[in-house]
Amino acid sequence: MWEQIRANRVRSIILVILMGALLVLIGWIIGMVFAGNAIAGLVIALIVWGFMSLIAYFQGDSILLGVAGAKKIQPSDHPRLYNVVEEMKIASGLEKMPDVYIIDDPALNAFATGRDVNHASVAITSGLLQKLNRDELQGVIGHEISHIKNRDVLLMSMCGVLLGTIVILSFYASRVMMFGAIAGGGGNRRSSRNSNGGGGGAIIIFIIAILLMILAPIFAQLIYFAISRKREYLADASSALYTRYPEGLASALEKLAQSSIPVKSATQATAPMYIANPFRNKNVSVNDWTSTHPPIQERIRILRAMGGGAAYSNYDQAYRTIKNTNSGIISDNTAAAVGAVGLRAAVAEGPVETAAPVDDKMTRTREVNDMMYRMNDYKTIQCECGAKLKVPPSMQGGVIKCPRCGRTHQA
Amino acid sequence: MICPVCKKDMFVVEYKQIELDYCHSCKGVWFDAGELELLLEAGGLKEAKQTLGDVLKLPEARTSEKKRRCPICTINMKKVVIGGEKGVMIDACIRHDGLWFDGGEVADLIKIISAKATGKKETESEIMGFLKDVFGG
Repeated sequence: MWEQIRANRVRSIILVILMGALLVLIGWIIGMVFAGNAIAGLVIALIVWGFMSLIAYFQGDSILLGVAGAKKIQPSDHPRLYNVVEEMKIASGLEKMPDVYIIDDPALNAFATGRDVNHASVAITSGLLQKLNRDELQGVIGHEISHIKNRDVLLMSMCGVLLGTIVILSFYASRVMMFGAIAGGGGNRRSSRNSNGGGGGAIIIFIIAILLMILAPIFAQLIYFAISRKREYLADASSALYTRYPEGLASALEKLAQSSIPVKSATQATAPMYIANPFRNKNVSVNDWTSTHPPIQERIRILRAMGGGAAYSNYDQAYRTIKNTNSGIISDNTAAAVGAVGLRAAVAEGPVETAAPVDDKMTRTREVNDMMYRMNDYKTIQCECGAKLKVPPSMQGGVIKCPRCGRTHQA
Repeated sequence: MICPVCKKDMFVVEYKQIELDYCHSCKGVWFDAGELELLLEAGGLKEAKQTLGDVLKLPEARTSEKKRRCPICTINMKKVVIGGEKGVMIDACIRHDGLWFDGGEVADLIKIISAKATGKKETESEIMGFLKDVFGG
């Protein structure tokens, strides 16, 4: 495990250095073009990046959760979810229980965030919570917990910041340069008789600068995606190991694949945080080097090809078979350290940890919806006719007539 | 949820574990896609996922009635007639978020369904049957 984290870290560091080099290059050019002094531009770029990184480090998780509209829940709000997170926390060996958040969104998705293993959060949409049974939920939570355990969370948010800085700097610099070129172009024409050909060298530098401004963000994005894709496979492998039931995650991913509701609050920058690409479209098979996630069908196939075990070696073998490659995703030493791990049987959903038995989709939906109502201060009235009225805060205090039987209730 | 007609808060009516959003002032009903699916699956109808798609395939009804916006995605909904030729015109969200029944439409639906013998299990009659269960009492 540790060796695996280290191997990942080396690979990631190389990619991060590449991204950092891009940032330096951007700063250099900005300095050359605007101030005639490359160092000044470099300093500006580093200050912007440093400032954004500090914010991301200390406030990143709350910003991300805030942007996603996530609400923190207590064990009593949804005992089943809390219990599953706890199980996965123990299985993964995390020391501190991550905070659990719910996003009120019918789309199916989940993500993990936080600055380190002791300041981490797991968020899941209400839609996903409704659709998944216990085994599937465990698979998804296992995947998210392993992002925390494998230290992916901070790395991805820091890479996101680096990417963001590059995008912002080159966006504004290229706009200013274009504008300057148009304004300056007019001036040049007037004075061209006097200084004919004098600007040739400057123009070449200018064109190179513009090209770099356009290409740098694209390169940075590709590097970002390369970092995030690798980590998705490893998180899948870890989830299978923690749950000892790869079929749970496979079946959850299948449900995710079938749904094409986009996540309302997702942006390009936050996309790699989710368990599956939040912008997926049923009609487009996204399967190239611009994807943040490996194709979902491939992830399912690998999980299902794991054969009789839940160990890393099983996942690695399945990965090589499905991808038809010799280079696996997990190093031999890591796989050997984990050893052989058998599968467990599917659990029957029962009243083990909740007051009400959770045996079907209908009950689960009511459970999740009622939790959302409670969190939004709805009041529930049980009418004698069998209907339940759930009244929003704005209507409380008035008289509500049951639309079924006509009885009136004081809300 | 906000009523697409009155722009006021609606409240939720749960009956037989199915939820509907109900507007107190105009008596309109929002039938959410997820709840439709639950209802039809519980009724043993397999093609639950297609139902909204089927409703949306119906021709756009000619009417002077004002377009209503979906309370979830706020895109204008499509007006279609369900329940046969002399059926009722309802609004369907083109993004498959759900169905909207104006206040009077529910009552009309209930009249239609009482007049017709509903032997066959169809998605439309299942939906109307449930509305009758809730509001026909």
